[in-house]
This record gives sequence, C-alpha cells and structure tokens, in this order.
Amino acid sequence: MNELQFLTWVRGPGLDIAVGIFLLGTVWRLFEIYTLGRGKDLAAPRRAAGASGLHTVFRRSLPPPGMLKRSPVSYIGGYIFHIGLAVIVFLGAPHIMLIANLTGLSWPGLPAQIIGLATVMTMAAMLAMLVDRINKPAKRFLSTFEDWFTWAVTFLPVLTGWMAVQHLLLPYTTMLALHILSVEILLIVLPFTKLFHVFTLFGSRWYNGSANARKGVPV
Amino acid sequence: MQGPLIDTLARQGVSRRTFLKYCATLASMMALPPAAGLAMAEAMAAARRPSVIWLPFQECTGCTESITRSHSPTLEGMIFDMISLDYQETLMAAAGHQAEEALHAAMKANHGKYLLIVDGSIPLGQDGAYSCIGGRSNLEILKEAAQGAAAIIAVGTCAAYGGIPKARPNPTGAVSVSDIVKDKPIVNIPGCPPVPVVMTGVLAHYLTFGSLPDLDDKGRPRAFFGETIHDRCYRRPFYDQGKFAKTFDDKGARRGWCLFELGCKGPVTHNACATAKWNGGTSWPVESGHGCLGCSEPDFWDAGDFYKALSMPAHPPTSVVAAPVAGATAGAAAGFANRAKKNAARKARQPITVADLEK
Amino acid sequence: MTLDVIPIHVVPRHAGAALPGEPGLSGNAPPLLRELAEQVRHLLETGEPSAIDLSALPLTPADLDWLREKLGSGEIAVTLQANGESTLDETACAGVWWVTHRNEQGAVASQFIEVAFVPELVKAHPADVAIGRERLEFMVSENH
Repeated sequence: MNELQFLTWVRGPGLDIAVGIFLLGTVWRLFEIYTLGRGKDLAAPRRAAGASGLHTVFRRSLPPPGMLKRSPVSYIGGYIFHIGLAVIVFLGAPHIMLIANLTGLSWPGLPAQIIGLATVMTMAAMLAMLVDRINKPAKRFLSTFEDWFTWAVTFLPVLTGWMAVQHLLLPYTTMLALHILSVEILLIVLPFTKLFHVFTLFGSRWYNGSANARKGVPV
Repeated sequence: MQGPLIDTLARQGVSRRTFLKYCATLASMMALPPAAGLAMAEAMAAARRPSVIWLPFQECTGCTESITRSHSPTLEGMIFDMISLDYQETLMAAAGHQAEEALHAAMKANHGKYLLIVDGSIPLGQDGAYSCIGGRSNLEILKEAAQGAAAIIAVGTCAAYGGIPKARPNPTGAVSVSDIVKDKPIVNIPGCPPVPVVMTGVLAHYLTFGSLPDLDDKGRPRAFFGETIHDRCYRRPFYDQGKFAKTFDDKGARRGWCLFELGCKGPVTHNACATAKWNGGTSWPVESGHGCLGCSEPDFWDAGDFYKALSMPAHPPTSVVAAPVAGATAGAAAGFANRAKKNAARKARQPITVADLEK
Repeated sequence: MTLDVIPIHVVPRHAGAALPGEPGLSGNAPPLLRELAEQVRHLLETGEPSAIDLSALPLTPADLDWLREKLGSGEIAVTLQANGESTLDETACAGVWWVTHRNEQGAVASQFIEVAFVPELVKAHPADVAIGRERLEFMVSENH
C-alpha cells in the first residue's frame, strides 16, 4: 500500500468504519444510561431543587476556592487544552469545510496562524498535564491504563494535524492520512472510554446538582 | 553508433550555442543547479548514440502523441537525433513481418546494450489474449525483449503502475512492467500522458552519465518527481494565505487562487508539470484553471473523486444510517436486560421491618 | 458572434504599478533581490558566476514583471538566434543579466537571472574559434 492508497483508505472505508462504530457506541451508551433510570428517593426533599441542576452545570467548570492554587496545572492546563481543542475543531478552516461537506452547515473560521498558535498551546498544555500526572505521586497512583491511553488518542490528532500543516517529518500525503487515521481511532475509542464525558458531562452535572438541592445543599 | 554526438549535431547544422541553450533548459527542467547545464553539455557532446526499442502494449498511444507532438521540430526533437530508435510500431515506416524483423535484428545486434522503452500495461487475464502483436501476447514479447535490454524505461502510468486498464475492476488483469520484470533496472516515467521533457531528460541523463538517474521509492527519477506539484505550484502562496477558489467561476477562480478545495491533487502528486509545463511551455492544468488529477501516482483513477478536496471524505460515510439504528437496538436490548436484572433484584429483596432493626 | 457575448473581459494591468500584496503578486519576488545582492557580492569577491533559475520558483507572471521592472535595463542587450531566440539583457545593476531562452515558436523555454561579468553563452568556445580561424586561413590562401 503506497501513501496515496493509504490516504484513500482512511478517507473512504476507514472513515466508514470509524463513524459507524462511533455512532453505534454513542447511541448505545446514551440509550443504556438513560433507560437505566434512577432509584426513587423515598425521603422527603429538604427543599425544591430549583435551578441547582443548571447552576451546577456551569459552576463545576470553575475551580472551587483554593483548588486553583493547589493544582494549578490541572486547572489552567485543562482550560487551555479544552478551549484549544474546541477552537481547532470548530474554527479551523479545513474542519469547517469538513463539517460543511458532511452537513451543509458552515461558518467563518480563524486565520491559519491563529489556529496554529492554538494548536501549539494545546499541545503544550497537554504535555504539561502529562508531566504533572507522572510527577505527582497521588495522580500517578490514581492513573490507570485508560488515562494514559485516552491522553495519547487525544494528543495524536492534534500533533499529526499540526505536522501535516507544517510539512514536518513525513510527506504531506502520509501525514494527512495519519492525521485522519488518528481521528478515526479517537472516534472509535470515544464511546467506550472516559472520553464519553463529551456527551455525559452536562447530564451528570445536572443530575448531581438537583440531587444535592433535594438533600438541602442548593447552589 | 558513430562518432561523438556534437559532430553528428554539427552535421545537422546544430551549433554549440544551440546545444548549450538546450542543456541549460534541460538542466532547469531536471531541477539541477544552473551550472549543471554546462557540465551536461560537455559530457553529452562526447556521448554516442544508443539503440532504443520501443514496445507499445495495452495503451492509447497518448504517450507517443505527447512525446512526438510536443512541439516538433524542437529542442526535445533534438534528443531523437541523439538516439537510434530502431523499433517503434506507430512511427516506423515498416509494418507486419518487416517490422517484426527490424525488432529482432535490433535486439540481436545490440543484445545487452539497447534501451527498452515500454508504454501501456500488460494484461495477464485470459492468458494475455487481451493484447497481442503478431499473434504473441504482450507478456511473451516483454519477457523476450527485457532479456537483452541494458535498462527499461516504463513510459506512462500504464507501463509504470498499470494505469487506467488496472482501475477497478481491472477486467484484463493489467499489471505494470515492474510486476513482471524483476532482474533489470527499470525507470518509471508515469503521467497520463507523461511530460515529454521528462522522457528526453532521462535519455539525456543516460547519454551524459551512462547510467540511469537517481530514482525514488516508486521508481521515478527524483530530478522530475522529487517534489510535489503543490510545492512547485505558482498558486502555492494563495494556499499558504488560505485563499481558495470555491467554484470554477467565482472571484477566487478568476483571481487565480488555490484550487485545493476544488479537488486539486497537487499536494500528493509528484510530477514536473508545474515547472516543465505543457504544449511547449504554454500552460499546464493548474494554470488553465483546473486542479491536478494526480495522474502520475499509482492507482490515481481509484483515489476518490477528482473534484473533492483531499482532506474531505471520499464519499459520505455509508454507516451513518445503519450504525445509530444498530446502536439504538443494542442500547434498548441492554436497557431491557438491565431492567430485568433490577426487577429480579427487587423481587429477591428481603424487606426489613422496624422490629428487625430493634432486635 | 462577437467576443462581447462571452462574459469574460480582459482587464489590462498597468506595468510597474503592481506592488506586493496586490492581486497576482505572491510576495515571493522581493526575497530574490536579497539573494541577488549576495550573489553579486560573491562574484566580486571570488569571480565565480552564479544564477537563479526562475522557472523553478513559484513566481506568478506578475511577480516576474515586478522583478524585471525593479531590476531595470542596462546598456547591453544580447540576442542569440539558436533554435529560437534567446535574449541576454543586462539589467540596471551591472553584472546581473536577465536571460530568457525561447523555443522556435517563441514560447519561453527557460528563464534565468545570471550573475556574471559576461554570461557563458556569449563567449565563443575555443573549438568554434579554431574553426573560424581555419575558415579565415582558407580565405587568405584563396586570395593569394
């Protein structure tokens, strides 16, 4: 298989497989989670839940008092790489083109230089967080294979995409194919690992917030 | 095989400056430093004419058209004065048995020394019956001719990689020259058709240095195929600035912006079009407003839509309908299983009363 | 049918009016001036000629016009008739030559900027000079 055949495969059959597994896994897991239901709380609520669910969705994105000082790398790095990923995926011109190609929706993107800067910052933040995870004994102790693995599958698309654009190391054809392949691996892995938080994040925050309010701790 | 080339040329009224000028242009085409033109001229002037045999197989004659019609009488035409083309079905006056005799005579007289040029792919299906010359299959002819060749030049994408005959579903079982001949040096000059000066360039290299040029991993001379169309494209700066034509008749197209989004395969295609150009340097596909098709790459015909950007899916993912349905089914099934489990757990539960607690 | 029916109109470009950043200009031409300055310095220090192969660079026609305009024209313009016309024109910067090789149909086959005291192609080759001498001697002997 030469590099053009490789690229043709990842653009065609490879993408089919990855998108298929991603959609199958995502719909499956969402279905299963929501049909699971929640046990009835037989105790009388301390108070009405009010808007605690909604508030929690946002408040959990802010560091609790004192925590920013205790683990600055987790918080600052976390912000940078999450926002960076969103900027790259949703405001990078080639990605908007991809979305337009698949759905017909499109919007203006950011100049390539700004996307390049966001990419470098995202990678730097992710690397800093990896080093932090290795250096901090508690973090290292809590880390399982899944943590290292999901870090890698998130990092690789960013790295290969940047290298393809900058024409580094390998010819553009190969690098672009590797970039698409790494995204496909991410798509396949996403529904079955902790990366599924992309979908469950807000639902679970809402649930926790409103449950806490019922128990008398509104936010 | 007579005296030095420069004498042959002089007899034909070709002056040294004409020759120098030709070499300067050739060196430029071969992406050699400008000074190399002089060195080439000196070496080539002293070279002798090699015998060349040209075999056409499963092809459309487009490659021969490209080379002979380039712009004769021409600079490129000059190179044909430098070789002794002993067999070329399309161009030679002889036909039938006479032609076959000429072929065998040339093969015998120059055994082990002639250059073999092949255009067209070789069909293996039906014992090669899809393409025969004088009742003999292409496979048989190629094997015989390859034996006495010093080197083989596979001209055109068909000879180099199987080309369009090999496109899915490949009804004739077409293969390339290098799929069959394993024990001879082979130079691939792909393109559909190939750029004329690339072929003359390879011949010039053979004349100049007595060897074949440096090849890449696909058997192509690096001098011409070392860089992508994209790297040498005059529209490249627009790509870097993010200025793209979105349709073939919008503002961007009129201003000559990059054709990447219209499906240009320039970034993955190695060829010399951007520098050598076509029709005597008049223009080339991208300059005329159409993206590169990638014709010098193996299996270009099956490499996805010609008009779809390289970074886009080759076709809309076919799994988008089936996969969510399958996921929903699996999810619902899992939901039912979970529910059954919960019900079973509820049934098995032993209620605890206040009395139990006070025990 | 007249040409006006076709909805494409040629917009004339003012020669020399273009600046980098304007349509048609890629911005790749100005750095060549720096390279030329370096090559001229090299010529003066070592006497070695050098050249820039213009057809190998991603330059638009507007870039070439801009460069040609910038370099200006000098005192010498050599025309060579050899399988199509070639022009070797000195630019306003002495030692910098704009060399264009054309084929018999008049299309540009290759284009260089040469940095040399005299371009190699202009000099007569000793072998050709020897032939010329033979010819002269033959004429002299004939007249005796």
